[in-house]
Amino acid sequence: MRIRLNSVLVDDQAKALAFYTGTLGFLPSQDIPVGEYRWISVRSPEGGDAELTLEPNANPAARAYQQALFEQGIPLTAFEVDDIHAEYRRLRNAGVEFTREPMQAGPVWIAVFADTCGNLIQIYQLPAD
Amino acid sequence: MLTRGMRLRLHRARQLLADPDASQLALADVAAQAGMSPFHFIRRFAAVFGDTPHQYRIRMRLERARQLLALGEGSVTQVALSVGFESPAGFSTAFCRRFGEPPSAFRRRLLPALAAPGRMPPLLVPGCLALMTAAWSSPQFLQSASERSAAQCRSPSHHRSKP
Repeated sequence: MRIRLNSVLVDDQAKALAFYTGTLGFLPSQDIPVGEYRWISVRSPEGGDAELTLEPNANPAARAYQQALFEQGIPLTAFEVDDIHAEYRRLRNAGVEFTREPMQAGPVWIAVFADTCGNLIQIYQLPAD
Repeated sequence: MLTRGMRLRLHRARQLLADPDASQLALADVAAQAGMSPFHFIRRFAAVFGDTPHQYRIRMRLERARQLLALGEGSVTQVALSVGFESPAGFSTAFCRRFGEPPSAFRRRLLPALAAPGRMPPLLVPGCLALMTAAWSSPQFLQSASERSAAQCRSPSHHRSKP
């Protein structure tokens, strides 16, 4: 058993693909039409074999969950970065809104931004060895 | 920096924009309720949610309309008015631009998929990762939106993604 798949709920798949590739910089992987929606996944340009699927929040339960997390300020998922300050500057310059600027949480640096698809996303930088 | 207060005000404004009972509320009033000037509200809302308030409101209306049509509830005109559109023609144009087919064609295509009256076809309410399974198990739905768009929407400007 392996962990190779993660998903984020998005309120609009086309908008999500534009943000996750154009702004965040992930690479498009799969994009398969499935009836009323699409099976869309992206992957990191920095390697690894994990895929992130951009999943529609059309189910009312999914939407309620997503909106409750946003209202409470809780990130839906987290991505690891090498240089959190550089990523923060890059995304800020691209117009991304942060709810938490880079801050130290124990040995780890974290920051949180809005992904334009209804979620808060955390980025984190692990301490150098 | 998106402060907690600003995040909550934008969240409430978003709920208001999705509320069919508030469909006649002017955007300036939504902005005022969020405590911002219209200009500042539009800019901030778009930066956080990826749509302008107007785009978001129209998108929510179209999604609700699509659910009502899939449930077989009311005529296309009744659906258009009930979700907040002022004219059926404007509704049909917006629906076609977003979903790649006119509302009447969508309803005809979806009705056979209704498992029971008043119950949403499963593919309109995908559960977690349900699409992965659906990709293999429901060939009747495999025709892509782009194919439908090419076949049924006459204007070349009709496409699924927003400008």
